[in-house]
Amino acid sequence: MVREATRRGVLAAAMSLPLVATGCKGVGALGTPPRQQPDVAVVRDAIDAETLMISRYNAVLAAVPALAGSLDPLLGQHREHLARLRARLIEPSTATRPERPSTVAASPAGVPGTPAAARAYLRHAEQAAAQTLLGKLTAAPPSLAQLLASIAASEATHALVLGPGRAA
Amino acid sequence: MSVSLPRLAAAAAASGAGQAAGWPGGRSAAVGALQAALAAEHAAVYGYGVAGAHLSGTRQRAAARDWQIHQASRDALAAMITALGAQPVAAAAAYQLPFRVSTGRDAVMLAAFLEDRVAAAYLGVVALSEPRLRLFGARALESAALRATGWRGQTLAFPGLEAPAPGPVPAGPGASQPAPSAPAAGPSTPGPSSPGPASQSPPPPTGPAGA
Repeated sequence: MVREATRRGVLAAAMSLPLVATGCKGVGALGTPPRQQPDVAVVRDAIDAETLMISRYNAVLAAVPALAGSLDPLLGQHREHLARLRARLIEPSTATRPERPSTVAASPAGVPGTPAAARAYLRHAEQAAAQTLLGKLTAAPPSLAQLLASIAASEATHALVLGPGRAA
Repeated sequence: MSVSLPRLAAAAAASGAGQAAGWPGGRSAAVGALQAALAAEHAAVYGYGVAGAHLSGTRQRAAARDWQIHQASRDALAAMITALGAQPVAAAAAYQLPFRVSTGRDAVMLAAFLEDRVAAAYLGVVALSEPRLRLFGARALESAALRATGWRGQTLAFPGLEAPAPGPVPAGPGASQPAPSAPAAGPSTPGPSSPGPASQSPPPPTGPAGA
């Protein structure tokens, strides 16, 4: 948000410059407005994905409270993922992002009501999330790629322990 | 999930052209990360031999399976490093274990520890710029994390980045579960332990004896 705002500010300033002053080089002299770093988009996507995953766990726990014992540790690890990802963004934690669709805030619908089905639901979500993160690896700078790969590995292990044969 | 090793070796060889091929960091970075991974695989091969000697039944078979996976990973990494024109690091004659291993429970925790170190080593490969090697490292990291979870019975928030302190761990629900059910990662997912992008390689999971 801060960067967005800054960029808009730069653009606005550029547009409002009196053109009489362009006797020299004009607006172009101000240079290209700063572009959002590609890794910022990657981090934001990862934050959205973690937020959605947490909301899935919360929805499952609301529907099947008996799973708390096995799901709480996994949910706690997703919260750690989210915190670590948020720490990657240099912006006030209270910043809102009105430009983003609010799909993330929506509570997942159709959460299964039986323990086995709920675990399968989360297992598939974990597998998909891990796969999505792996797809973002090459767009990230090295240290972010390491964080994403580690989170993807964590999610893969979540899928493992949510698998059949691993009783709740 | 599996990555063709020959293709990776070819990618590694292509990187012999290093910077010319457009690899920032290029060949020497790739060699360094792969060597660190290889060192961790050597240590894992040794460590699983120790662990297996203290296990029986299902767990011993699981240890034997993982031992073979690490041998295959070791060989694959050595081939990749050779393809890059470097000499693969050799195994130490012996390794110092991180803690005393005298029971089956110790052996299970040793296996989890070995996998944690292998996972950390592959994070160094993830930091490379070459996309195929980066993905290779990420998959190897995931395989190691899955095996570690199988042994430990618990998951970690940041496999490879943060590991529990070495040593026999307090008995947890998972500690008593029948060993690893992690999917066998084939030889295509080696998993050494490599350092972060700018860090020096950490000592292998089990340091060379006397080091």
